[in-house]
Amino acid sequence: MKNEVNRAQGAKKSVMIVFNQANTGRVEYMLDVLGIHGFTFFEQVQGRGTNGGEPRRGTHAWPEMNSCVITVVEDEQVPALLESVKKLDLRNEEVGVRAFVWNIEATV
Amino acid sequence: MSIYKSAIQKPVTTALIFVAVIVIGIYSFLKLPIDQFPEMDLPYITVMTTYPGASASEMETNVTKIMENALTSVDHLKHITSQSKDNISVVELELEWGSNMDEAVNDVRSFVDMAANNLPDNCAKPVIFKFSTSSMPICQYSITADETYAGLDKILNDEVVPQLNHIDGIGNISLSGAPDRYVYVNIDQQKLDAYGITLEQVGQVVSANNLNLSSGTIKMPQEQYQMQVRSEYIESSEIENLMVAMTPQGQQVFIRDIATVKDTIKDLSLDEKTNGREAVRLIISKQTGANTVQVCRDVRAELAKIQKQLPTDVKIEKIYDSSENIQNSINSLEESVLYALLFVVLVVLFFLGKWRATIIIGITIPIALIVAFIYLGLADSSLNIISLCSLTIAIGMVVDDAIVVLENITRHVERGEDPHEASIYATNEVWVSVIATTLVLVVVFVPLTMLNGMAGIMFHELGWIVTVVCCTSTLVAISLTPMLCSKLLKAKKVHVDENGNLVDDEAGKKGWYDRTVVHMLDVIDEYYAKSLGWCLRHKALTFLILIAFFAASLIPVFAGKIGTDFMQEQDNGRLTVTVKLQRGTRIEETLKTARKLEARFVELVPEIQLINTSAGSNDDASIASLFSSTMNNKIQMTIRLPKKWERDRDIWTLAEILRQEMASYPEINEYQCAVSSGGPGGDITVDLEIYGYDFDKTSQMAEQCRQLISQLPGARDVNISREDDRPDIKITVDKEKASRLGLSSATISTYLRNRVAGMACGYLKDDGSEYDIVVRLMEEDRNSISDILNLSIPTATGKTVKLSEVAAVGEYWAPPTIERKARQRIVTVKATPYNTTLGELAKAIETEVIPQLDIPVGYSTHIGGDVETQQDTFSDMILLGLMIIMLVYIVMASQFESLRMPGIIMFTIPFALSGVIIALWLTGRSLDMIGALGLVLLVGIVVKNGIVLVDYINLMRERGYELNQAIQMSGRSRIRPVLMTAFTTILGMIPMAVSSGEGAEMWQPLGIVVIGGLTVSTFLTLYVVPVLYGVMSRHGDRDKQEALRKKFIFMNLKVKKGDEK
Repeated sequence: MKNEVNRAQGAKKSVMIVFNQANTGRVEYMLDVLGIHGFTFFEQVQGRGTNGGEPRRGTHAWPEMNSCVITVVEDEQVPALLESVKKLDLRNEEVGVRAFVWNIEATV
Repeated sequence: MSIYKSAIQKPVTTALIFVAVIVIGIYSFLKLPIDQFPEMDLPYITVMTTYPGASASEMETNVTKIMENALTSVDHLKHITSQSKDNISVVELELEWGSNMDEAVNDVRSFVDMAANNLPDNCAKPVIFKFSTSSMPICQYSITADETYAGLDKILNDEVVPQLNHIDGIGNISLSGAPDRYVYVNIDQQKLDAYGITLEQVGQVVSANNLNLSSGTIKMPQEQYQMQVRSEYIESSEIENLMVAMTPQGQQVFIRDIATVKDTIKDLSLDEKTNGREAVRLIISKQTGANTVQVCRDVRAELAKIQKQLPTDVKIEKIYDSSENIQNSINSLEESVLYALLFVVLVVLFFLGKWRATIIIGITIPIALIVAFIYLGLADSSLNIISLCSLTIAIGMVVDDAIVVLENITRHVERGEDPHEASIYATNEVWVSVIATTLVLVVVFVPLTMLNGMAGIMFHELGWIVTVVCCTSTLVAISLTPMLCSKLLKAKKVHVDENGNLVDDEAGKKGWYDRTVVHMLDVIDEYYAKSLGWCLRHKALTFLILIAFFAASLIPVFAGKIGTDFMQEQDNGRLTVTVKLQRGTRIEETLKTARKLEARFVELVPEIQLINTSAGSNDDASIASLFSSTMNNKIQMTIRLPKKWERDRDIWTLAEILRQEMASYPEINEYQCAVSSGGPGGDITVDLEIYGYDFDKTSQMAEQCRQLISQLPGARDVNISREDDRPDIKITVDKEKASRLGLSSATISTYLRNRVAGMACGYLKDDGSEYDIVVRLMEEDRNSISDILNLSIPTATGKTVKLSEVAAVGEYWAPPTIERKARQRIVTVKATPYNTTLGELAKAIETEVIPQLDIPVGYSTHIGGDVETQQDTFSDMILLGLMIIMLVYIVMASQFESLRMPGIIMFTIPFALSGVIIALWLTGRSLDMIGALGLVLLVGIVVKNGIVLVDYINLMRERGYELNQAIQMSGRSRIRPVLMTAFTTILGMIPMAVSSGEGAEMWQPLGIVVIGGLTVSTFLTLYVVPVLYGVMSRHGDRDKQEALRKKFIFMNLKVKKGDEK
């Protein structure tokens, strides 16, 4: 069995999309349209935004919850993905979606 | 924590919980009584009113009508029938089956109390009588004797009956035909007249000398004594020497001078013979709730003991023992259950090929069955035909859930997972769908428990048992099965070789199982996938073929090849023959015919083991006489034959031989040869009811019907319910003459009774028993009309007159018993089907007989009896079937969250019907109540296959496969589980369908129906469902994508500069 480690030289980026649960269908559709196949999905994550983002804590006061998708994509795919996320945000700003990008150091 | 996770992590607890369940189950099993049917309250209430002196028609107007009018408002009343006879009116209420009888009896009582005020003054208080199964005899024995016959009564009453009374649960023991000892004083009329003595004087003398009287106390100086006159007869001969009177000449007249005293057995009025020997019939019934089989077994053992103490010429022989039939039926059903278990395990072994897996699956069967016994124990039920049939039905189904779980776990283990973890996660994947499929079965069987009528009582238990068993099997499948998998399944054997590579130890190894069975299954898969591909390409043609097949399968129905019955008659090795001779035939003449018939029967049917014949009537009516109505011109025979597997000819053939014999006797007016059916309905007959007021007209119509029905090829034992007019001797008192002599009609009637029937004059006591002493005229003085006219009647002045001086005697036809139903007079013509079904005979009567009748205005006919019950039951079943289909649809629709998918699956149900029709046609059976039940069950079993298939196609579609490819893949992957579940159910039913044990006639149709329906529908499901899926879903799915694009419009937005983060 092969057991080699790929040293990535900025070839891949990790994009974390945090979004209101209500956006789940749209996010999945977006990924399908962009042809992004792989992702890891976290359900029921809590959080609050720095710039006016409404808290999502699942409490009585802030009952809503977020979900989060981390997808590892090629460098070239990142702008299109971010643009789509922006579109989604524009569609309904109050529901809320954010995306963050960082580098992939290594994969197995 | 989920149930399967706990079960796997606590194997000891899990195993022991099930051990405990098994122990409780075995305990309940051992405690379960054995019975033929589930306990049922027979919904009959009888109200009996006596009104001394009223004739039948007076009874009808003055009593019966009033009672009927009052009782029609009783709740749940189904039919009201009545009989008005001389002095007595009997109103019988048939309520809906399953009504609360205690409540009903209270209800009836209050209505009777209300009506009682309107009854004539002399009428006795009406008696309410609830009919219950426990009052029916459970066994009958015949006791024959030669020399000791005269003393048999004493032997029976002193030795046999008391010993039998010790048996636990025994109810009424009655003796029929026992020779009662009587002391008769037969007086010569002429001598009485010559001495100027009246019969009453003799009677008083006899009574007065038979006394024990206390006559005070005697006080002596020290002691005190009671004084008593003790002059009771010690021997009957003492009576002869009593003096009756003194003649004016001073001559003493002793009883011996005018009469003969006979210490003998009672005059013949009921004659019992067994195989031609003098016999007494011992009729035994049980207490309510007692176990028939246990009581009968104890009676057998006790009689064997008693036999040894009896004189050598006394023989006890069994006439019938209902426990034998029950025991044999239950044994053969138990055998079916065991065979079903074996077959199911073999099928599982065949498909899985692993003994460990087979054990894991096999273990769910006994557990599920044992829980059924616990249910039976808690419900106070018994091991009966219904409960065991239910178990046989359930066996094939209980393994399905466990198989699904096991398959998924095996798949995980084969991928190299650890069995412990695989068991947890693999169960997690399927447990919801396992419960969902069980829900489908539950909605099929729970409605069965809501069925009304007699069918309801029988299927109530079936519904619950199958539900309980299926739910248990689901519970086992998600607890014990994963636990056992985690312990018993072995992880895949692998090792790391010297190069550091992983090597699969089992790769490439192929056992004989893989070479043969797996290869064969692979070929089947391949072939099926190919043929399915063809069908998907030629959908229209496929449907055309299927519809043609369905239409063709309906041909036998329209061609009238499939009859309907209520319940199959059983060959229990017992025939009941009833013969009616010319009315008014003297009992001695009847007996001659009886002896002739017995001799001929034995000649014609050498198989006969025992013939018990009773003729005549017993005047002291006991409970048992309710079940055997004999009259002087009636003979009733019970014929015992060997068990059906011990003889070549079946009981219907033998009955036909006896019927033909009886038809050739000119003196026989009516005869009937009934194949006693163990069922609660008794003999299965078609009743043509004729309603109308005028006796002559309805009798004439009935006779016409009887002749017409007798000509039908399938009708036997055609009988009219109305008794013939009875010849009576009527004495009309001339009141004027009578009153001049100081006589009244009442005194004349008493005197007449004393002379003819006899005057009861105390008892002769012997050894603690009392025997009647009866004073009457000798037979020669009272056996003709002229003798009656010549009777001497004492007048008020002490003289005697002849009856002819104060009354006229004439012959007269007494009106028959007046039968009414639904408050109208009725005559019923009953016919038993022979070589045809109940439904067909009813139809033949309806189409061929009724149109030929000339029915006047105010008269009507109606076909009733078991046909009516059958129709009611079938319509109940149809309603139930529709309800079940609705519920199954709802469950499936919620499972698939689609209104279309259940439709696809339900399309297989008509094909199950085709299978049923073909199976019935091939086996030449008719559809009866039990078969109809099978049809209802099929709905549930058949759709299960469809669910498996559609579920998988949906899955493949969701995974993104193209439609036809998804269908073909699913078909290929699901054919094995579908075949496996179908085979387990079919093979589970085979022992039931082919069993030939006693009572097998009853449940065979169920097996045949389920096997036929399931075979055809399983085969067709494999094509119908995928093709229909293909037709119905392509269009919808394209729409779905379009809809999605329209919904998510945000992708069309333009992002402007500056908006970006």
